[in-house]
Amino acid sequence: MLILLCYSIDAQQKTVVLVVSKIDPIGIPRQKDWRLVTNPCLKNLFTVNNTSCKEVIFLSVRIGVPRGMYFYKFYPFTKRFLTELGAEVVPSPPTNKEILDLGSRYCIDDACLPVKVYHGHVEHLKDKVDYMLIPRLTSIVPKEYICPKFGGLPEMVKYSIEGLPKLIDVEINMYKSRKNLINALYRVGNMFTKNPYRIKRAADKATREQMIYDNGLLKGELPSKYIDETDMPRSKTSPLIGIATHPYLLYDNFINMNLLKKLSNKGIKFFLPEMLEKKIIEEKCKIFEKRMFWSSGKDLIGSALYMMENSKIDGVLMLTSFACGIDSLSIDLIQRLGRKKSSKPFMVITLDEHTGDANFNTRLEAFLDLIDRRKAN
Amino acid sequence: MRLTYPHMGEAYIAVKAMFDDLGIESIIPPFSTDSTLRLGAKESPEGICLPFKIMLGNYVKSIEEGADTIVITGSCGPCRFGYYGPLQKLILQDMGYDVDMIIIDPPKEGIAKFINNIRRLSGKTGFKTYKVFMDAYKICEKIDELNQVQYFVRPRTKDKAKVNSIIHNFKSQVLKLKGSREISNMIDKTKEELLSLNIDMDANPIKIGIIGEIYTIIDPFSNLNAEERLGNMGAEIHRSMTIRDWAENNLIKPLRREKPYEMEKRLSKPYLPALIGGHTQQCLGHAVNYALSGYDGLVQIYPMGCMPEIVSRSILPQIEKDYGIPILYLIVDEQTGEAGYQTRLEAFYDYVENRKRRLS
Repeated sequence: MLILLCYSIDAQQKTVVLVVSKIDPIGIPRQKDWRLVTNPCLKNLFTVNNTSCKEVIFLSVRIGVPRGMYFYKFYPFTKRFLTELGAEVVPSPPTNKEILDLGSRYCIDDACLPVKVYHGHVEHLKDKVDYMLIPRLTSIVPKEYICPKFGGLPEMVKYSIEGLPKLIDVEINMYKSRKNLINALYRVGNMFTKNPYRIKRAADKATREQMIYDNGLLKGELPSKYIDETDMPRSKTSPLIGIATHPYLLYDNFINMNLLKKLSNKGIKFFLPEMLEKKIIEEKCKIFEKRMFWSSGKDLIGSALYMMENSKIDGVLMLTSFACGIDSLSIDLIQRLGRKKSSKPFMVITLDEHTGDANFNTRLEAFLDLIDRRKAN
Repeated sequence: MRLTYPHMGEAYIAVKAMFDDLGIESIIPPFSTDSTLRLGAKESPEGICLPFKIMLGNYVKSIEEGADTIVITGSCGPCRFGYYGPLQKLILQDMGYDVDMIIIDPPKEGIAKFINNIRRLSGKTGFKTYKVFMDAYKICEKIDELNQVQYFVRPRTKDKAKVNSIIHNFKSQVLKLKGSREISNMIDKTKEELLSLNIDMDANPIKIGIIGEIYTIIDPFSNLNAEERLGNMGAEIHRSMTIRDWAENNLIKPLRREKPYEMEKRLSKPYLPALIGGHTQQCLGHAVNYALSGYDGLVQIYPMGCMPEIVSRSILPQIEKDYGIPILYLIVDEQTGEAGYQTRLEAFYDYVENRKRRLS
């Protein structure tokens, strides 16, 4: 069944233009001469097979998803879930110079690079969508947080950028139990439909999609294959280097100076944190007497320690962003705990909005030379 | 067992009183100076926040004086403070110091561990520990009163040097005393000394509230004596968080099954509806509270890279707009220079004072 939202009548030509939608949308079309249907009976009883009807416009709500922070972690889920509910999902384009500049203009100075990039994406996207999805990701694993900035992200954006569309800033807080995720999904779903089964079906489909994506990453695929449907040719030969970092630095090819492509062109294979099973990460983090209470830190430390201990991996490269709070601790912990046992080449590259390509290349080449020399001996 | 603990403003007075009463030998690290910070910054990770570096410097100085056990509190919030202990322990080991570290995590992280830690510290559990703890809490309350008097007197007297010398004298004299009773008497005496100065009761100084990250607003070394500087210029200041406030909300209220930080949470709710860690809600709540109570300006102080305060920093401009209260944002780290800091405080003071005159 289609729902009539609004119509415009041309009295002379006796034609009407109808705007219909499969779902009850949350946004209102912006054209001025359209009249809104307010009578609920009319809405449902209306049939489109009307002879005088000149044009039927199908309308869906556009929801913007900024390509930043955990975009590369959860986008397949987000996209499927919202599409199933009838919305059109509009991701922002991959980061470019303009977006980064916008980000550093609108964001406060001492925030970290990913937060600035996120601001840039929101600013870039804000006029193109009806709604903006900026979830408050307080905690995505029970008893673990991500980072305070993830929790305060909707507010940081809201008070830094003016003229935003309406925000969907639903809180996802699984600190106490996973059930809160379900509540959060129902809260979002209720904006589209009052039918809980539809929301459940959408969530189930989205979960399946996310599982396919996660399994793909586990096997060594890159997110671009699933998200932008472009795949990058990759080298199959050694040396193999491990890159331990957060997804928002690893998969954003503008921020990390096209690192993955550069490595592939040089004939180098890489091992990414997403290729590790959660179990191994948990096990590696057991060396701490105090539980690690950041899931982002846990992933980083667990994967870095694994890469240092695994004899197949020839070197470990860490990417971090300037002023990242969690990394400042984690990298020191990794160096103090891991480097005692391993003598592998290890390098930390700090990225920020001023990082230059030339300087990045020099350091990367020096690191690769070191690996070559070690292998030759 | 020779205990030591890091400095955090006046905290050492209450902790000293507690350990004295329990009969535990404790070593108070020498007051933080540039050399303390340099020692700490040399061994700390580059990007970590300022309190970590100062604390590490404190430990090293105490260990050099013979301490062998370090006591600190812990947390499991999203703020980095929760992982200070484990990393500092590793760093001290790598530096070649063989020390024991007692990290008191909140009871909800494992009650057995909590009780075990307390038992290790006190030796005897039960009524006496509780009484000693309450005595220490009373000392915190008295320090708060003393600070209120100090904040009140400083802008209203001509003899500002005298106020400063009384306070500095008090801080060093306390080290020689033993037990909560002696310390409590000393606080009373200092208070009277301050009140006997020549105070101009009709003066109407501008009022400035200090908000921000708890360590950097409580510890005068880390914020380059912002309170004293503003007071000397002629502003009556108020500090949003104190040791007593922390103890009340984190230790006393959970014992009495009351909800902590109710006022702050209520006032910050329109701006930040969820808990995100650190003292963001408290910072925002106090900012609104100060604005509503007629303060003329606010100063937010936080260490470079502090994750929760960066969130409050980006929300505060909205409070500034909504309530029309000017806010000065000060970020401190080991590179902070005194001259630039003083200039910014003076400029802010002049601005707030002019604004007040214009509005009245």
